[in-house]
Amino acid sequence: MPAFAALRQFPSSDPTSEAIVAVTPRKTRLISDSDAAIGSPLRKSPRFCKEGTPHSSPTANIRKCLKTSLNLSGSPQKKQLSEDFVERQNWNPRDETQRRAVNEALHVSTAQTNVVCRENEQNRILDFCKKCIKEEKAGSLYVCGCPGTGKTLSMEKVKAMLADWANEECIQYPDVLPINCTSLANMNDIFSKILEQNHSGKRRSHSTSSLQQLQNLYSQQTPGMKMILVIADELDYLITRDRAVLHDLFMLTTLPFSKCILLGVANAIDLADRFIPKLRSLNGKHMVITFCAYSKDQIINILQERLRALPYTVFQPQALELCARKVAAASGDMRKALAVCRNAIEILIGDSMLSSLDGTEDQQKSAENVSMSNQVRIDHVAAALSKVYKSPVVDTIISLPQHQQIILCSVVKLFRGGKKKDTTLGELNKYYVDVCKSTSIPPVGILELSSMCRVLDDQGILKLGQSRDDKLRRVTLKVDGADIVFALQGVRFFRNCLQ
Amino acid sequence: MGVENPAEVAKFIIRSRIADPLFVYSYFSQLPDSNYSKLKYIISSSVTEACNNSVLLLGPRGCGKTAVLELVLEDLLKEHPDMISVVKLNGLLHSDNNCALKEIARQVCMEHQLQFSKMASFDENSKFLLSILRECGLAHKTIVFVLEEFDLFTEGKQRLLYSLLDAMQSVSSQAVVVGVSCRLDADQLLEKRVRSRFSHRKLLFLSSPGEDFQRLAEHILLLPMDSRLPNDFRASFNEKLLNILAGEEFKGVVDQLCYSDSTVSHLLRFLFCAVCHMDLSSGSLSIQNFKSALPSIQRQPKQEALKDCSVLQLYLLVCMKRLEVKEVELCNFNSIMKEYKSIPDSFQTCDNFARNVCLRAFEHLLQRGLVSFQDNRGQGQSTEFRPVKLLISWHELQQGLQSFPSCPVLLHKLMAREG
Repeated sequence: MPAFAALRQFPSSDPTSEAIVAVTPRKTRLISDSDAAIGSPLRKSPRFCKEGTPHSSPTANIRKCLKTSLNLSGSPQKKQLSEDFVERQNWNPRDETQRRAVNEALHVSTAQTNVVCRENEQNRILDFCKKCIKEEKAGSLYVCGCPGTGKTLSMEKVKAMLADWANEECIQYPDVLPINCTSLANMNDIFSKILEQNHSGKRRSHSTSSLQQLQNLYSQQTPGMKMILVIADELDYLITRDRAVLHDLFMLTTLPFSKCILLGVANAIDLADRFIPKLRSLNGKHMVITFCAYSKDQIINILQERLRALPYTVFQPQALELCARKVAAASGDMRKALAVCRNAIEILIGDSMLSSLDGTEDQQKSAENVSMSNQVRIDHVAAALSKVYKSPVVDTIISLPQHQQIILCSVVKLFRGGKKKDTTLGELNKYYVDVCKSTSIPPVGILELSSMCRVLDDQGILKLGQSRDDKLRRVTLKVDGADIVFALQGVRFFRNCLQ
Repeated sequence: MGVENPAEVAKFIIRSRIADPLFVYSYFSQLPDSNYSKLKYIISSSVTEACNNSVLLLGPRGCGKTAVLELVLEDLLKEHPDMISVVKLNGLLHSDNNCALKEIARQVCMEHQLQFSKMASFDENSKFLLSILRECGLAHKTIVFVLEEFDLFTEGKQRLLYSLLDAMQSVSSQAVVVGVSCRLDADQLLEKRVRSRFSHRKLLFLSSPGEDFQRLAEHILLLPMDSRLPNDFRASFNEKLLNILAGEEFKGVVDQLCYSDSTVSHLLRFLFCAVCHMDLSSGSLSIQNFKSALPSIQRQPKQEALKDCSVLQLYLLVCMKRLEVKEVELCNFNSIMKEYKSIPDSFQTCDNFARNVCLRAFEHLLQRGLVSFQDNRGQGQSTEFRPVKLLISWHELQQGLQSFPSCPVLLHKLMAREG
C-alpha cells in the first residue's frame, strides 16, 4: 500500500509539522498533495495511526485525520509553518531545472530503479530461470502482452536480478543474448547469432547451416558448455508462412543436451499455441506469462512512483486519476499515460507563459494565483487527453473550402439509407450539381470536381478508385458520415441540406 | 543607365518575395500560438533538455507543413549551431527498409565527413545507426529525422519506423522524429507496437482564409525600406495597397478564390498572377489587377474552347444535348444531322448548312476535345457512324452560350426548351 510505504521512507520529520493541516485556505491543496508529503506528519502521532485502517483509501484517511486535528487546532504559529511547508512543495513551471527534472521523471526512456506493479510476473520469470540454471537444463518461456505493458522493462530487471543472484550463489552466470527480431535482415540469422555467442572462438563450417550446427551441438554431450540465455524481443517478426524458423527455435530447447534458455516476447497471446503445435505434445504445457494491460490503480501507482523522487508536487491527484482512468479504459498502455502527463505539463507551461505575458495582476493576487495554478489540474489533463485521443477529422472538415464541403455533403446524402456504399464520380457530380443549384452557388465542372475529390482522397476522407474513364471512378467514404454531419452542422445551409 | 522605373523594382521585389517560401512562412512565425511556435518548442525542448520526441504534421497539400518545418530548423540551427543534425527521408523514395537505412547512413556520413561505403550490408547499416545515435547522445547532439510522406512508410512491416521509434525509447539516444503527411489518419495506419512508441503529438495545419489572408497579403505586398525605391513612391504604393486590401471588393475576390482551394500555395499563385498584371505606368496595384488574376487562376478550359467555336458548331452541340435529354440510344453524326434538320421544321430559320459543311465542323469539334468517340472500337468506320459523347455538361454549355458574343436567340430557346 503506498501510504504505508511512504511511512517507511520518511522516518523523522519535525514534530511541529503535524499541526499544519489545520489551516483552512490551504486545506484543499494539502489534501491534494502527494502521499510523500502528507504521509509523514500525519503518521507521526500514534492516535492517527490507529484511525487509519489498511483497507481505507489514503485520501479518506487524510480526511479523517484532518477532521480530528482540526479540533485540536489553535496555535497562531500554524499559518507560518504551513507557508514554509507549502513553499517546499510549490513547483515553479517557469524554472528551467525543475521543468527538466519533471520531464525527465516522466519520460518513457528514464530507467526505473524499482519497477512497481510487475513484481509477480518478474518473480515467475526469475524462478523459471533460476530453476533452469541450477539444473543445467534448457527451457523455453513465452511472454506476451499488449504494447506498453512493461515486458522489455521487466526483462531488463530480471537480467539484473539474475546477475545478483548468480553472484550471491556463486553459480556460473549464463551468457545473455538479447535479440530484437526486427533488426534481423534474414530470419535464419538468429541461429548464427546464437552460434556466435556460444562459440566465439571456434571456426564456423560453411557447409552446414548455423541451425544444423546448433542442432548437432545440442545433440551431443559437451562438458563445460556454458548456458546461454536468449531473450528474443518482437518474436512475431520471425513468423513465416511455413513457421519453420519459430518452430526450429523453440525445438532447440527440447534437444537432449541443449543449454539454451529461450525467453520469447511478443504481443499475441496464443502465438506459441498457434504456431508451434508440435511443441505442446513434446513439452507438455510450456509456460506462458501474460502481462495484462495496466489497470487504473496500477497506472496511478506507477506515475506516483516516478514523481516520488521530486521534492515538489506537480499534479493534483484528481488530474492523475482522470489520466489513469482514461488510459486504462482505452488500452492500458503506460507509454500513453506518460505522454498524456507530459502533454498536460506543456499545456500548463503554455498557459502560465500566456498569463505572464498579460501580467497585469496585483501582487497579492499574483502570489495566490501562482501557488494555486502551478499544479497540473483536471482541465489541463482533459485537454491533453483530447489532443491524444481525438481524431483531427472534424476540425479538418470544418476548415475545408466550401466546394469540398459541398462534395462531402452530397456524398453523405447519396449514402444515406445505408444501401449504397460506393458510387461513381458521375453520380456524385449529379448530386453535387443538385446541391449547388439549391443555393445559388455555381457548380464547378467535372474536371475540377475530380481534382477536388483527389485532394480529399489524399487526405484520407474519401477513397477514389482507378478507372480508364474519369466518370466511372468509384468513390467511397472513409470517415463516418455522422462525423461529417457533426462537423457541418454549424452552417445553416448544410444543416438544412442534410436533414 | 537611367534611373530604373521604381514600379519595376517594386514588382521585382514582390515577385521574389512570393517565390521565397521562407519569407512567406516567416509571417506565421510571428503569431503566438501558431504551429511554428509549437513545433519550435517541441524540437528545442529536446535539444536543451535532452529528451526524445516524436511529432506528426498533418494537413492538406500546399498548406505549408514542410515550409514551416524548414523555417523552424533554420532558426534552431542559428540558435544552437553544431547541436543539431538533420536527416531527411521521403516516403516516395525510401519506403523500403534497406534503402532507408542506406540513405540515413549516407546522409550522416556526409554530414560528419565519414567514409560511406555503398557495399555496406543491412546489418552493418543498422549497427552504424545505433552507434551514431549513441555517440550523438553522449555528445549531446540531437538528430532530427524528417520523414516526408509519412503514410508511405507505413506500408509493409514498418521496420524502419519501429527501429527509429524504438531508439527513442532508450536513454542513450537524443533524437526527434518528425513525420509529415497529408493523410489525416496517418497514425491509425501504424501497427500497434509502433503506435504505442509514437508520442501522439499531432500538429494540424488548417487553413483559414479571410482576415488571415489579408494580413498575409499585407506581409508580402507591402514594400520594405529599400535603397532602390524612393520613399514617397513607397509610401504612396503602400497606402493605396492598404486601401485595396481592406475593401469589400477584395474580400469578394478572395472568397471566390477560396471556394475550391484555400491552401496557402493556391493563394500565393493568385498573388503572383495579380502582381504580374500590375500596370507599370500607373505605378501601383489596383483592384483590377486582382480581378483579372482570378480567371487566370480559375481557368475553365471548356469555356475557352466554346468561345472559339463557330455558330454552326454550337448548333451541333445543342443538338447533341437535346438528343441526350431525349435519351436517344445511339448518338452519332447521322442522328445529330437528323436533329439538326428537324430544327428548321419546328422553328422558322434559314440557318441551314449542307451535310459536308456540318461534317467538317463536327470533325473540328472532335479535335477540340468538346466531343469524343465513345470507345476505341470501330476504327475502320468513318466518322459519320461511330457513336460519340459530349464532354461538357449542360451547365457549362449554357454558360458558354451566354458568354458567346453573337449567339442567336434560337439557341437559347432550344437549350431552355429541353434543358
